[in-house]
Amino acid sequence: MTLTPVGLEHYLFVACLLFSIGVFGVLLRSNTLIILMCLELMLSASIVALIAFSRFNAIEGSLMMGGNLFVLFIIAIAAAEVAIGLAIIVALWRRQQTLDATEITSLKH
Amino acid sequence: MPSTEELQALVAANTWSALLPEILLGVLALALLAVDAFAPRRQPQTLLAAMVGQAAILAWLLFAVFTAEAGEARVYFAGSVVQTALSDWMRIFFVTCSLFTTHLALVYLRNREYPRVEYIHVSLVVTASFMLLVQSGNFLLFFVALETLTIGFYVLVAFARTSRFSLEAGLKYLVMGGFSSGILLFGIALLYGVAGNPLLPATAVDPLNFIELGAFIGAVGIDGANAAHPLVIAGSLLVLTGVLFKVGAVPFQIWVPDVYQGAPTPTTAALAVASKAGGFFVLFILLSGPFLALESLLFPVLAGVTAVTLVFGNIAPLGQQNVKRIMGLSGVAHAGVLLLGMLAAYQVPWAFHAVLFYLLVYAIASFAVFEVMAHLAPDEDADQDISHYRGLLKRHPLLGSALVIGLGSLAGIPPLAGFIAKVLIFVAAFQAGLYTLLAVAILGVVISIYYYFGWMRAAVLRELVDDGESGREPLRVTIPTKVILVALALITVVGGIFQAGLTKLVGLS
Repeated sequence: MTLTPVGLEHYLFVACLLFSIGVFGVLLRSNTLIILMCLELMLSASIVALIAFSRFNAIEGSLMMGGNLFVLFIIAIAAAEVAIGLAIIVALWRRQQTLDATEITSLKH
Repeated sequence: MPSTEELQALVAANTWSALLPEILLGVLALALLAVDAFAPRRQPQTLLAAMVGQAAILAWLLFAVFTAEAGEARVYFAGSVVQTALSDWMRIFFVTCSLFTTHLALVYLRNREYPRVEYIHVSLVVTASFMLLVQSGNFLLFFVALETLTIGFYVLVAFARTSRFSLEAGLKYLVMGGFSSGILLFGIALLYGVAGNPLLPATAVDPLNFIELGAFIGAVGIDGANAAHPLVIAGSLLVLTGVLFKVGAVPFQIWVPDVYQGAPTPTTAALAVASKAGGFFVLFILLSGPFLALESLLFPVLAGVTAVTLVFGNIAPLGQQNVKRIMGLSGVAHAGVLLLGMLAAYQVPWAFHAVLFYLLVYAIASFAVFEVMAHLAPDEDADQDISHYRGLLKRHPLLGSALVIGLGSLAGIPPLAGFIAKVLIFVAAFQAGLYTLLAVAILGVVISIYYYFGWMRAAVLRELVDDGESGREPLRVTIPTKVILVALALITVVGGIFQAGLTKLVGLS
């Protein structure tokens, strides 16, 4: 059995898979913690895609470091987003004792 | 590896002084926290210093802009920062918005047990990010600035941490904002990948740069145009989706009414004015820069979005009783009119200036309305009903007339400035030949007068009903507030009759 080397398309497949799981998770799940995790998955999908593109588009004389650099910023932003998100979820839990997005519906007039 | 000379040239492009207003805003924000931590008893002075500091930065920015000679775009930080006359204008706009938001926050926090200085701190950081966003020249600065301000807004929306409405709005904004950022980022990643592909014609060396990306998308090779590449199409549509989420265009408006209602009033004002203006300026940067060659793809998409936005935004507020939801949903209708202006800008060069004029007039009228809302809000900020406005004109003539003028301008009733702004965009759309969309927009304006009128009628005609509870105590309106309200109302009225001053401000002649 011969293994084909891992190429750009494999990385992109994983990235698209992660992105789809993230999108459908946000749209379909009702637990707010899971929704938060799915948001992070969407960012991770972009991280995988950016690094794979940086690696495979690099040629002699053009190193394509922009994508790798971008990833560092995305990680920092994702951390900030989770920090705020968890803070809001904890505050909501204290008031309502629920994490179910279908039960957090007081804003309807 | 790049040579030492190349790196030195890059470092030489880092002109930090070009970003001094943003840096000073950040320093001011940090200084506020430090002062409040060490001298908590001096809070009134600290808050006053926040206002004075912003006013000083605004004055300095105005001075710098009016003394600078007009010319080419100034490019700093190896293409990351691109300052044009328009982006300078937007920076002034955002600092002014920040001043109004700060004042609204002081009114809002007056009777509430929430931290004051922290609110101003986050609001200043958000303002600085807005200013960076409008001068971004590559996707790195673009995304970082956009996320900094979005994360700041999560905090500001959920700021009333003992109110379940505010927390719920914060969670909804977090989920929808994070979702749109994820979509936007994946679009950027796809564009980065395809534009850096060495096998395609006109490969970009730095694919995140707007100019290089635009050159790549516009290039035509042996196998066909780059603009027809599936990754370019997918990436640009994803990026556009992310931006349309931020401006609240249909079908990405689901977060708007709930978040507007639950957020504290000053945050709602910032979302309605600054966030919308920032979103539209970013849309302009993208459409006129990197995505210019994609007109045949994006024009029909945007036209469809505009049509449904106009229809939804004008029908949804009908029958609403909560004024914050009315402001949110009618904001969707305003986004539709602005999108119409953006579409016209493809054919008519001055149409984007009409969009800026509309944003300016919309901001002035909205802040007048939000000032009144902040004064009339009950303890639970989310429950602001039209019925609270009954007899406002008799109860407090200044607040009442400011509200009526602001709402009239938003509805586009002549001779107020809002009418002129709408006419300018409609003329641009007419010149661009967008007749069907124009008809939808005009129909929408007629409907919008109906729901704005319901609110105005409550303030003007209805008698005071003594129901014994909500807000019958005398209203506390300070002198600065009176000055602000009179100024906003005056600009709205005078701007409708002699609009030369305002139109000149946005570069329309």
